[in-house]
Amino acid sequence: MRKAAMRKAAKIGTWFTFAFVLGMVLVSRSSAQTNTTPDLAVIVNPKNAVDSLSLNDLVKIYRGERQYWKGNLPIVLLFRPPGSYERMIALRVIFQMTESQYKQYWVSKIMRAEATAPPTELFSGGMTKEGVMAIPGAIGCISATDLRPGMKVLHIDGHLPGEANYPLH
Amino acid sequence: MGQVVLHLASPLSKKVAYFGEVSFTAQPTAYAVDVERSIIRYDHNDYFKLSFGRYHTPINYWNTAFHHGLWLQTTISRPEMIRFGGRFQPVHFFGMLAEGNIPSGSLGLGYEVGLGNGRAGVISRAGDFGDVNNNRAWVARLFARPTGLQGFQFGGAIYRDKISPTPALPGDPTFGEWISSAQLVWAKETPEFISEFANVHHRNNLTGHISDSQAFYAQLAYRLPWQQKKWKPYSRFEYTHIPVTEPLFSLADFRVQDLVGPTVGVRYDITDFAAFKLESRPTKRGHKDPEVNGVFVQTSFTF
Repeated sequence: MRKAAMRKAAKIGTWFTFAFVLGMVLVSRSSAQTNTTPDLAVIVNPKNAVDSLSLNDLVKIYRGERQYWKGNLPIVLLFRPPGSYERMIALRVIFQMTESQYKQYWVSKIMRAEATAPPTELFSGGMTKEGVMAIPGAIGCISATDLRPGMKVLHIDGHLPGEANYPLH
Repeated sequence: MGQVVLHLASPLSKKVAYFGEVSFTAQPTAYAVDVERSIIRYDHNDYFKLSFGRYHTPINYWNTAFHHGLWLQTTISRPEMIRFGGRFQPVHFFGMLAEGNIPSGSLGLGYEVGLGNGRAGVISRAGDFGDVNNNRAWVARLFARPTGLQGFQFGGAIYRDKISPTPALPGDPTFGEWISSAQLVWAKETPEFISEFANVHHRNNLTGHISDSQAFYAQLAYRLPWQQKKWKPYSRFEYTHIPVTEPLFSLADFRVQDLVGPTVGVRYDITDFAAFKLESRPTKRGHKDPEVNGVFVQTSFTF
């Protein structure tokens, strides 16, 4: 009798544990989905021959350490103004700077004659898209939700926005 | 008032740009105006950029990283080995400069090679009016900025010139000059570390007498995490050694003195673009010279 009761208790315990773990997985999945923010897509002019960049290359480009595409085409940096979602992601992942450090970085760079101006700031994703389409060497960052057909999106470290291991989010 | 510096930066076309730096330095009766840098540069690509004009000589990290930007540098003063108006190393260089990246993957190699007028007869000045002895100076610098270590940089440079001192010395000798230097930099703020070494080799071309003088400094600073990260204490140790038989630096008109001196100070960033600095510099020159203690304050800002 006692053995049967113990077996029953173990079975209930197993089911309870299974149900608890399953519930936790579902809760974590649903909370992960609600916390999901759009990835940051890197776009270039469709005529640009570049299809992919490593994150290191992107960092060098946005920090003004690499200023030319292959073929000696000057890179034109387009950026979003303070307070925008795209800028927040780029400062954290690409520049690894605070807003103050970013401003100081470009003042320093101009004083050192390493650049003539900081990245051009455009006030909307739409303006960024238009700028990239109009300027052959332009590169810009927009929210992946703003992507439209016809835009050239770069692979970063071999991944596109929305894929696992995409680094810009 | 100290010094007011104007920076000019203007793209003239997609690949040509102009950079200028003009200083107004307070003197007892007026301001001295000086064109510190005036550079026109053609960028072919990331690997080759060619420019002409007046530079801060790329023999020294500090000289090319901070220029006249007192706000840019952590401390009040420049290191003695590259101070403005100093003679140990040529601060300015007039001529042409090729620079760029070297394809090297994550090592991040870069180069600078220059050819120009070198030092004037007054050796603290550059040859702005032409080369004083029709023997061009050249400089070559190689450095690495590894991709995985943002802010880390190391490298070295060599500089070659022939000096014809003014006023002329008895027998009218000229001096061959070789300068070799090395830099190790961690350009972050937690911590910041800058260290440089230079050896100046002089040869009296009349007597064949040679001599080597050395200088180095190491600077350490740390941005404190409290009070909105406004405080940044720092310390620097400097050392300069000039042999008593040095054929040029030991002469009255061209003298460079020995130096042993620590610097201790603190920087308070009032805003993103303005800083207040307080610094103590006890320095000792020659063996028989007394130690001189100085306390300095400075406000620097940019806009």
